[in-house]
Amino acid sequence: MSVALAAARLHGPHIDWGGLSPILALLGGAVVVLLVGLAPRREVRRLVASGLALVAFAAALGCTIWQWDASKSIVSGALRVDDLALAVNLILVSAGAATVLLSWRARASGEAGHGEFYALVLTSTAGMSVLVAAQNTVSLFLGIELLSIPLYVLCATELHRSPSLESGLKYLVIGSVGSATLLYGLAMIYGATGSTDFDAIASAIASGGLASDPLLLTGIALVVVGLAFKSSVAPFHQWTPDVYEGAPTPITTFMAVATKAAALGIFLRFFDVALVSAQVSWAPALAALATISIVVGNVGALGQSSLKRLLAYSAVAQAGYLLAGVVVSTRAGARATVFYLAVYLLMNLAAFAVVVARERETGLGDDIAAVEGLGASRPWLAWPMTIAMLSLAGIPATAGFVGKLFLIQASADGGYTWLGVVIVVGSMVSLAYYLRVVAAMWMRPGPSLGATEAASPYPAIAGGSPEADPDAIGTSTPAAPPAGDGGPGAGAREGFQPEVVGLALAAGAATVFFGIVPSPLVDLARAAGNSLLGLF
Amino acid sequence: MLRSYLPALVFLLLGGVVGLAFALLNHRLGPHRRVAHKQDPYECGLPSEVRRGFRFGISFYLVAMLFILFDIEVIFLYPVAVRVRAFGAFALYETIVFIVLLAVAFVYVWRRGALEWR
Repeated sequence: MSVALAAARLHGPHIDWGGLSPILALLGGAVVVLLVGLAPRREVRRLVASGLALVAFAAALGCTIWQWDASKSIVSGALRVDDLALAVNLILVSAGAATVLLSWRARASGEAGHGEFYALVLTSTAGMSVLVAAQNTVSLFLGIELLSIPLYVLCATELHRSPSLESGLKYLVIGSVGSATLLYGLAMIYGATGSTDFDAIASAIASGGLASDPLLLTGIALVVVGLAFKSSVAPFHQWTPDVYEGAPTPITTFMAVATKAAALGIFLRFFDVALVSAQVSWAPALAALATISIVVGNVGALGQSSLKRLLAYSAVAQAGYLLAGVVVSTRAGARATVFYLAVYLLMNLAAFAVVVARERETGLGDDIAAVEGLGASRPWLAWPMTIAMLSLAGIPATAGFVGKLFLIQASADGGYTWLGVVIVVGSMVSLAYYLRVVAAMWMRPGPSLGATEAASPYPAIAGGSPEADPDAIGTSTPAAPPAGDGGPGAGAREGFQPEVVGLALAAGAATVFFGIVPSPLVDLARAAGNSLLGLF
Repeated sequence: MLRSYLPALVFLLLGGVVGLAFALLNHRLGPHRRVAHKQDPYECGLPSEVRRGFRFGISFYLVAMLFILFDIEVIFLYPVAVRVRAFGAFALYETIVFIVLLAVAFVYVWRRGALEWR
C-alpha cells in the first residue's frame, strides 16, 4: 500500500516563470547585492552594489516590457499579470532605478552599508510589484508588508542623524497600525464573502446582495483606512510630513513616488475588481476622503518653509487627485489614475533630484533658502524644478495639466462633477506654494554667504570639478557667479553631481515632452485601464 | 504480532545506549569547573533570579532569532526528504533553491559578525 503511494508520481505545480520574472529579477538582485555588500573593500562595495542594483532594475524593466499585453493569473491565482500590474510595475522600477542614482553619493547608503541599502530598495520594490499584481487578499497583505518593512529600515539608515531615526520609528509605528487595520478589514471582508480571491469576492457581493451588508461595509471601511495610511490620504496623513522630512532624501523620493504608485495600483484593483458591485456604498466615502485630502494637503503646504515638508503636503493633495480616478470606478477613471501616476513619477523625480543636489551643495538642508537664486547660479537645476512645480500645479504644456484634465474628465463622466471642481480649486490654491518655490529660484538673489564664500574650499564648482562632464550641461555653465555658489564651506560636501543633475534634467524634459505629446503615456494608461475587465 | 514491536524496541535501546554513551563520554572527557552557575536550574541563557533594573544583551535576541530562522529550515526539509522520489527533480530543484537562499543568509550573518557574542 505505502509502496504504491510512494511510486505514484506527484506533479509539482505549474510555474509561469515569465509572469514571475520581474519579481524574480528584483529579489534575485537583492540577494546578489546583499552578498556584494560583504566585499572587503569599501569602494568595491559602493560601486558594485549600486551597479548591480541598477542591473537588477534594468532586468526587471526588461522582463516587464517582455510580459506586456499578458493577461494571466499566476501562482494559483494569487497574482494577476495584466497591463495594469505591468504599467504600474514600469513606474515602480523606474522609481527604484532613480533612487539608486540619487543614493549614489548619499550618506545614508554608506552608513547603512551599501549592500543592505540597495538590497532593501530592491526588496521593497519587489513587494510593490507583488502588491499591484495581488489578486487575493493574502497576497495583498503580503505585498504591503514586503514593501513596508524595508522602508521602515530605509527611513532610519542615516544612523547618526536623529531625525532619520525618528522618521523610521514614526513610520514603523504608524505603518504597523495601518497594516493591522488593513488586515482586520480584510478578515471582515473574508467573513462576509467567504473568499479571499478578488473575483470570488466580486461574485459573492453581486450574487448575494451583500452591497449593504454591515460586516462587509465595516471591512471595506477598515481596508480604506489601512490603504489610506499607506498612500498618505488625509486624514490619515499626519505621519507624512514628519517622515518625509526626516528620511534620507533619496528614500523620501522613493516613498513619495513608488509607494504611492503601488498603493493606488492596489486601490484600483481591489476596489474596481473585488468591490466593484458595492461601488454605491464606498464611492461617496472615497470621494469625501479625496476632498479632505485635497483641502488638507494644499492648505497644509502653504505655510511650509522646508521643501521636503512642502512636497509631503503636496503628495497628500496629489493622493486626493489620484483617488478621484478610483472613486468613479470606470475604465476612464483607471486610465486617468495610471496616467497621473506616471506623470507624478516624472515631476516628483525632477523636484526631488534638485532637492538632493542642493542639499549636498549648500549645507542648508532642504530649506527653501537652498534654492534661492538658483535661476542665476544653476539654471540647469532651476529649470527642472520650475517645470516640476508648474506641472504639479497643473499649468498647460506640462504633463501634470494633461493628467489633471483626464482626472477631471473621468470624474465628470462618472457622475462626480463636484469632485472635478474640487480638483480645480485645489490646483488653484496649490499655485500659491508651488509658485513660491519658483519665485525663490528666479526672483531672489542667492543666499548671502559673506565671508564664508571667500574661504570656501570648493570654488568654481561647475566648471572646475574633476567630475564635471564636458557635455551639453557643462557648456551652459555660467562662469561662477559671485553668490550662491559653493555655500558654507563646512556644508558643501559635493561638487558637480552628473547623475543627479542628469536625472533632474531628464525627468523635467520628459514632463514637458509628455505635456505636449501625451500619446505614449495615454497608450500605456489605456492598456492598463482596459485590463480591468469588470468595468466599462 | 509481537515482531512488529521490534523496531520500537530497537529504537528505545539505541536511544538509551546513545544517550548514555554521550553522557558518560561528557563526564569522562569534559572539563569540570565548580562555579555557582552550575547549581542553577538552567545552566545557559538568562539567570533565573534577576533584579528589577536588569538589562540583558541585544545579542540574546539576535541569536534567538537566527536560531529560529535556521532551525525552522529543517522542518521544511523533512517532508521533502521523505517524498522526494515521488516529486522527482522538481522537489530537488526547489530544495536546492531553498537551501541556497538560506546559505546566502547564513554567509551574510556570519560575515557581518552576528554570530559573535558581544
